[in-house]
Amino acid sequence: MIVRPVSVTDLPALMDLVQQAGPGFTTLPANEERLAHRVRWAQRTFAEQVERADADYLFVLEDDDQHVVGISALAGAVGLRDPWYNYRVGLTVSASPDLGIERQIPTLFLNNEMTGQSQLCSLFLRHDQRQGTNGRLLSLARLLFVAEFPQLFGDKLIAELRGSADEQGCSPFWDSLGRHFFKMEFSYADHLSGLGSKSFIAELMPRQPLYTCLLTEQAQAVIGKAHPNTEPAMKILNAEGFAHKGYIDIFDAGPVIEAPVSKIRTVRDSQALVLAIGTPDEQAPVWLIYNRRLENCRITAAQARMVGNSLVVDRLTAKRLQLQPGNSVRAVPLLNQQRQTVAA
Amino acid sequence: MLVLRPVELTDLPQLQQLARDSLLGVTSLPDDTERLRSRIVDSCASFEKDVEEHGPENYFFVLEDLTARRLVGCSEILATAGFNEPFYSLRNRHFTSASRELNIEHGVPALSLCQDLNGHTLLRGFHIDAPLVRTAFSQLLSRARLLFIAAHSQRFAEAVITEIVGYSSDDGQSPFWDALGKHFFDLPYAEAERLCGLQARTFLAELMPQYPIYVPMLPQAAQECIGRIHPDGQEAFDILEREGFETNSYIDLFDGGPTLYARTSNVLSIAQSVTGTVQTGSSIDARGRYLVSNDALRGYRAIVAELDYQAGQPVGLSADMCIALNVTDGSPIRLIAL
Repeated sequence: MIVRPVSVTDLPALMDLVQQAGPGFTTLPANEERLAHRVRWAQRTFAEQVERADADYLFVLEDDDQHVVGISALAGAVGLRDPWYNYRVGLTVSASPDLGIERQIPTLFLNNEMTGQSQLCSLFLRHDQRQGTNGRLLSLARLLFVAEFPQLFGDKLIAELRGSADEQGCSPFWDSLGRHFFKMEFSYADHLSGLGSKSFIAELMPRQPLYTCLLTEQAQAVIGKAHPNTEPAMKILNAEGFAHKGYIDIFDAGPVIEAPVSKIRTVRDSQALVLAIGTPDEQAPVWLIYNRRLENCRITAAQARMVGNSLVVDRLTAKRLQLQPGNSVRAVPLLNQQRQTVAA
Repeated sequence: MLVLRPVELTDLPQLQQLARDSLLGVTSLPDDTERLRSRIVDSCASFEKDVEEHGPENYFFVLEDLTARRLVGCSEILATAGFNEPFYSLRNRHFTSASRELNIEHGVPALSLCQDLNGHTLLRGFHIDAPLVRTAFSQLLSRARLLFIAAHSQRFAEAVITEIVGYSSDDGQSPFWDALGKHFFDLPYAEAERLCGLQARTFLAELMPQYPIYVPMLPQAAQECIGRIHPDGQEAFDILEREGFETNSYIDLFDGGPTLYARTSNVLSIAQSVTGTVQTGSSIDARGRYLVSNDALRGYRAIVAELDYQAGQPVGLSADMCIALNVTDGSPIRLIAL
């Protein structure tokens, strides 16, 4: 398996993937024209022909038979072209010591505070490939890419996780809030949002802070709660140092998790090593290994052994990376070893 | 004979009984001796005071049964709402939610805490004994205030408002309060209204939400309380509505009851009341019922009277009427048809 930039020839495979992902996958709608546009745009991005504000790094996960089985993306910056909105869950205190009154009321503040930060998005892995290191490789490859080219990204990486919704796709948060301002179903708003109308939609939302005590109990209960389907993706990022700091999606209240780039485990712990070909021993840990190229980016996960400033991998791994011995790689253990020790 | 007159300190015990009987939500009538005493003292001082421009004065009236020597109702005029402390209301306005790109535009009503009504004259504290509800005497109790304003217009603002008590159930539950105020106070409605009467209103208002409350987010029962009148407040509303008062976008922040508003000069009893002079001694061939006041200040009196009134002619009053109004032959009076 390797992660590489998307190419126009991937389009049929991408359509299959997106159809499998279903309507909840709003950032990649099953629309051939839009998908083709996005792929072409991604190619221009990797060719450094677009500004950071428009950069859309779209990666695919490909097996050795050159089947595309997954997709993930990295946006150079949010909010520099269209306003980017989140709610921050803040606090209002209603207190009068004389009257013995003390109320703490969580309050939602509309903001554009994530403007200019880079966003992890559009991750989908084919159901029959959700095994081994595939999910981790598909997600973390993006972080290793950021480690190599920090100048192309913001100070923070963020990810908006899908919020709670019932089986029909109805969001209790939307039903209690957004619906009153849009007079449309969540699924339709979500669809519009996927078509790039998110800021138009946000403009319909009230600008003033909202007291959560006026939302339904069901809506209050899902603030900052991720959809169970997103849990595996969330766990991977949490282990990397991503955390929920109170920002949520304005439609479904799903959490925005964030991390300063320099504090992300993969970024912090990755190092430039010289590739060597050999036989990593049986117990060698799996490493995330990157050929350090931009346009011809290739990232894989493989057992490897670090010797001095060399990383010893097998021949197939080097071939996957399209590298020769002596080439430089950026690498990091796929799993956080400290955490493993603690777990053991 | 029932007569409306300014309150006096000796009225305190009876006034407290009225306060005890008054509708929950008539917060200007606290069942608290000291508070009531100071209200009476304030009122007496207001009637005594030379006023060129309306200020903090409060004119407190009682309705007395002269035969039984018993108080049967009371009402007040606060010359300037918000003079000593801000007068808070909720303003119900549409927030327009629009997107040209999506071709969507609709209004969402939102309630915002405001002090827009500061500076207006406020009618309040209306309470009448149950047997007199929907009689000429409840008209007297309410409208005699308007005749007083007509006679002493320099003491009042250019607009007059009043808050009508909003809906609450027989067991003292207010769906509006439960959906809104309770979140911010953690107090039952009845307790909040009680504190309000004890002049903690500003304290309470300051705890109220400073950001708009979007009406569709409130439970249906609370939405239905916006502008809804308590059944026992209906008469107070009806009397003033006939006077030309109108509801507008303001409601009470606790119970959602409507606020009535009128330009002072447009109020029926102010614009259309007429002045005349008293004629005593002649027999009265009554042709109609009137509210009659003596246009005085400290000695203000008003009654309901059956008169034979003809425009431009002196107004014939019976001896009882003259005693009740404290007038004699040739005294100026003001009247308006009931």
